[in-house]
Amino acid sequence: MSALAFDAAVTSTLAEASRQRGARLVRALIWAAAAIAVLWFTGAQIGMNPVALLKGMPFMADFFSRMFPPDLSHLRLLGDATLETVQIAVWGTLIAILLSIPFALLGAKNTTPHPVVFHATRMFLNALRSINELVFALIFVSAVGLGPFAGVLAIALHATGMLAKFCAEEIEGVDRGPIEAMQATGAGRLQVILFGIVPQVIPAFISYSIYRFDVSIRAATILGLVGAGGLGFSLIKTMKLFKYHETATCILVIFVIVFVSDWVCARIRARII
Amino acid sequence: MNMPDAKRKPMISIRGLSKTYAGGAGVPALNNISIDVAAGEFLVILGPSGAGKSTLLRCINRLVDPSEGQVFHNGAEITAHRGDLRAIRRQFGMVFQQFNLVKRLSVLNNVLTGRLGYRSAWRSLLYSFPEADKRIAIECLARVNMDHKAFQRADTLSGGEQQRVAIARALAQQPMVILADEPVASLDPKIARQVLGYLRQSAQELGITVLCNLHQVDYAREFSERVVGMSRGAVVFDGPAAALTDEILHRIYYREPGEAEKEEA
Repeated sequence: MSALAFDAAVTSTLAEASRQRGARLVRALIWAAAAIAVLWFTGAQIGMNPVALLKGMPFMADFFSRMFPPDLSHLRLLGDATLETVQIAVWGTLIAILLSIPFALLGAKNTTPHPVVFHATRMFLNALRSINELVFALIFVSAVGLGPFAGVLAIALHATGMLAKFCAEEIEGVDRGPIEAMQATGAGRLQVILFGIVPQVIPAFISYSIYRFDVSIRAATILGLVGAGGLGFSLIKTMKLFKYHETATCILVIFVIVFVSDWVCARIRARII
Repeated sequence: MNMPDAKRKPMISIRGLSKTYAGGAGVPALNNISIDVAAGEFLVILGPSGAGKSTLLRCINRLVDPSEGQVFHNGAEITAHRGDLRAIRRQFGMVFQQFNLVKRLSVLNNVLTGRLGYRSAWRSLLYSFPEADKRIAIECLARVNMDHKAFQRADTLSGGEQQRVAIARALAQQPMVILADEPVASLDPKIARQVLGYLRQSAQELGITVLCNLHQVDYAREFSERVVGMSRGAVVFDGPAAALTDEILHRIYYREPGEAEKEEA
């Protein structure tokens, strides 16, 4: 190539680069304008109003002042409820971990026995995830009665939806090489999963499980609102009796539990992975 | 070394094997391949990337199902056989370009997976193997001089070491044949020769037939007496490594699409 032709080629590629950059910028601006318009419209629709918030400030201040100071003598009554909250989260998460393993295998493209099973499983898991723990709790309270067991079942089902979906996606993302190697040894289906797939997804699965326990703790603190045990029951009870100083204590305890579980989970995750 | 012997029944006999992948635009990956491999032979299949070497090996242990043709193993047809795929596969050890070890398992456990084809799924559920299997696995590791790293995790090893473990895994199957698919393509020349050396030596000592895909001519000349040259899904050469002339190498590596028809005509 002559020096002249070389220069011309470089110049034309440069020009193309700046033309593409310009086109990208225009596209980005159009999308941004569209997004702002949609957000503005929806904000108006759902009555987003900063003035109302400002006007409401004194009422909020009043509410908080009624809560202050927290009635710390109420703490000794919260011990059992606190323990129960943690117990609900532990059992709910544990059941979810056990249930999510088979559902993950059925709901991953590369381990499902049949495409129909794959789609049915994914749909079922989506349904589990789309129903909030509180809604499940309402259902189970009417099924097994008031108390923590309903809360355990509520968390177990919702968490299974999440854990199984995450785990299924992890299974779909594994390196195919070891799977092929296991097949080549004459390993059966189950053996290929046990040796070719499980070791690859174990770290992520443990990590998701710990994260899910953390989420379960937070969910368990409010399940009592619908009578499914734990601190939420004390929370709603004190509020309904206008004992706001005690409500404040409940909120404090919830804050401490969430903080501690977050810290413990982070430590465990750092240890394992 | 064992030479191909016309009087002996071939260990592997491939007849009219073709494979066209779905979505392959009708271009066959393998086109009417016929090869005989004698028991104990170390056969190199030489060719550029995309020549169909990998597909050929995978049609033998049925990781890929051929579109047409047959493969006979010790005189028995194994292509159409719908029956016990596990029993067929465990007779063929396989070694891969990317080693394909299970990274989070120990070296010993990786080699033990070579025994899976002989063991029930229920036992595997506990990740446990019989004592006899452990003995086999350790012996195989010793053959490739890796027994001193038996308890290390596979992902702590270098590439050459990983491939030696992968060879031990294939040996642990106590196979009749080892299919090696570009076993040294990801290794530097010094380590590559070492790994090929372990592969050839252990196969020789145990009387295992080896089909080894390579794309480097040097290694083919060095490690094999007979070479099958492949290009665009067809066999374009089958003869002693010493007969690999420049003209033949050109035919293997630089053959244009049109030339295939001319040769067949």
